[in-house]
Amino acid sequence: MTARDRILTRVRRATQADAQPQVSEEPQRPVPARGMRSGTSALEQFIVEAEKVHATTSRLDSLDDLPAALAVELRDRNLPAAIRTGDDPSFDRDWGTVERSTGPGRIAEPATMTRAIAGSAETGSLVFASGKTNPVTLNYLGETHFAVVDATDIHGGFEGAMEAVRAKGLDSRTVNFVTGPSRSADIGQVLQLGAHGPVALHIFIVGSA
Amino acid sequence: MNALHPTTPRFNANVREALENKNLQTAMATAGGGFALKRAAARSAMPEFDDIRDAARDLKNHVLANLGDYLEAYEEKVLATGGHVHWAETAEDARAIVLDICRTADAKTVNKGKTMISEECGINDHLAAHGITPVETDLGEYIIQKRGEGPSHIIAPAIHVTVPEVDALFRQEHQHLPTDRTLDHEKLQAEARAVLREKYFAAEVGITGANMLVAETGHSVIVTNEGNGDLTQSLARVHIVMASIEKIVPTLDDASTILRVLARSATGQDMSVYTTFSAGPRRDGDPDGPEEYHVVLLDNGRTNMLGTEFQDMLRCIRCGACMNHCPVYKSVGGHAYGWVYPGPMGAVLTPSLIGVEQGGNLPNASTFCGRCEAVCPMRIPLPRMMRAYRAQEFEKGLTPGTARRALGAWRWLASRPAVYRRVTGMMNRVLTGLGRWRGNFPWMPLATGWTDHRDLPAPEKGGSFQAQWARK
Repeated sequence: MTARDRILTRVRRATQADAQPQVSEEPQRPVPARGMRSGTSALEQFIVEAEKVHATTSRLDSLDDLPAALAVELRDRNLPAAIRTGDDPSFDRDWGTVERSTGPGRIAEPATMTRAIAGSAETGSLVFASGKTNPVTLNYLGETHFAVVDATDIHGGFEGAMEAVRAKGLDSRTVNFVTGPSRSADIGQVLQLGAHGPVALHIFIVGSA
Repeated sequence: MNALHPTTPRFNANVREALENKNLQTAMATAGGGFALKRAAARSAMPEFDDIRDAARDLKNHVLANLGDYLEAYEEKVLATGGHVHWAETAEDARAIVLDICRTADAKTVNKGKTMISEECGINDHLAAHGITPVETDLGEYIIQKRGEGPSHIIAPAIHVTVPEVDALFRQEHQHLPTDRTLDHEKLQAEARAVLREKYFAAEVGITGANMLVAETGHSVIVTNEGNGDLTQSLARVHIVMASIEKIVPTLDDASTILRVLARSATGQDMSVYTTFSAGPRRDGDPDGPEEYHVVLLDNGRTNMLGTEFQDMLRCIRCGACMNHCPVYKSVGGHAYGWVYPGPMGAVLTPSLIGVEQGGNLPNASTFCGRCEAVCPMRIPLPRMMRAYRAQEFEKGLTPGTARRALGAWRWLASRPAVYRRVTGMMNRVLTGLGRWRGNFPWMPLATGWTDHRDLPAPEKGGSFQAQWARK
């Protein structure tokens, strides 16, 4: 008998014993009101919640406006005019004065940019899915992380975001929910932004809900 | 504290040392009730919080009642994504499995995200003893690893360390940096960030824990604020997940139910910064991510809790709300508990996992105020289980002789109402007489545990409640 068999045998013996108090039913999954908005209302809530957790946001009419908007953000933050991205087709455009390099994250990355597959207004969270054109490390190694999300991909709550995850199947090794820039209060219980992940998170929201 | 050598049997001495430790008392006072206040605010901001707690409790009861089926379904999904599943009956088995994977990967350095299962199994010491360097990457875990300690809180492992102590530690550990640098909170964190950033790129293996395992998809889920768990698993060639068998949830939507109560109960955040779902190794063509993915499923005593009066403890999601609201924990900190899990959760988990012979002291360290159960997002009846362990300790003859004799005398007295009334009435009169001038006693024989710290009030005039009731 293997360890697996022994563990499963003990589990089954215990859960089928008379002492087992709860015979289960399918779990209920209540959704809070804050996770049930849609359309413009969800978009507005997403912005409020994301900014509450120290992310910043800006709105773009279309992806064509992204290079100019990124250049302004980099300049306003005193960052070099350079960005690291994956090969996501939506980033395949003329970046003007901004030098774009592609590939996974390196040890020092002043600024990275990735494309989110969804947002959840309930908590201001973004959802990223790793893949050939979306290196997971770019979500974590940038000092400043720029994220791009379509307004139409912003859902009211986790349920909508999870549907987007389901739609990806298991094509992605990792699915990352990101809610603001990294932080820690491990030193003296004082919250500081910028632990091991990004110090700042800026979200470009493209289009209308 | 060392997972293999718990100091729980000398809990009383640990407590005395903790109360006399000025740095610890300063650190615990600094932490104060911050977590409790933030939890209360987060709870008020979501009116459905208690309904979702009920759903979360029912969800885990459902999982535990069907655990065998869910474990098999989960395993099947992990294998389908190209991952490996290793079943460990004991901590010793888990150590051997992890070491074997690390050796096969020819690992010199192993990075660790925060994992309590790894603490429970004593992975760091085991790897170090076999020539592999474990590096803790959670900021708090990094601090305590450098201090040669275990975590003292489930989510704030270095809560017992003051800022001047971190300053001194970093100056000692980071000697490649200028000695005349000035350090504050922000600079200390930036310094650890820079030092650890290099480590992420050096390690061959990354070990993380798992807050949940999703049977529907085969995902392991970690919830963090720092991003260290993600760098640990994404940059190493091999990712090992250490998880205990009860971490299963059936579906992604059930994970949402847990997520809605987890961070709110832990830190008072609506959502932690990073919630990461991982399944299998990197896919063909992926530019990053680990090439191997291993899950170590640990039992280590949990199947012995299933089907018993301690099964409810297996609903625990390790948020730490119970210790954040515990007057005993807040007075003595986590190390006094002597093993991996402190506070009320430790008072049940420790005797459950290492035996009442070693852990039986902890259930006695409770005022039974009930706040732990009141705030538990999974509605775990912690005081009931602590009472059950007190009973077991007594039945096994592990209770100290003095306490047994005192309890025996009390039982004799309390089961004889007439004698009880005469004895307590007499004591009442004596104490009322002796204390009539001051109204209290600054010292009392056999009660110095009380009078060393505060005066003992003298009984009110008019006799005991029973005497007053009888006169009515």
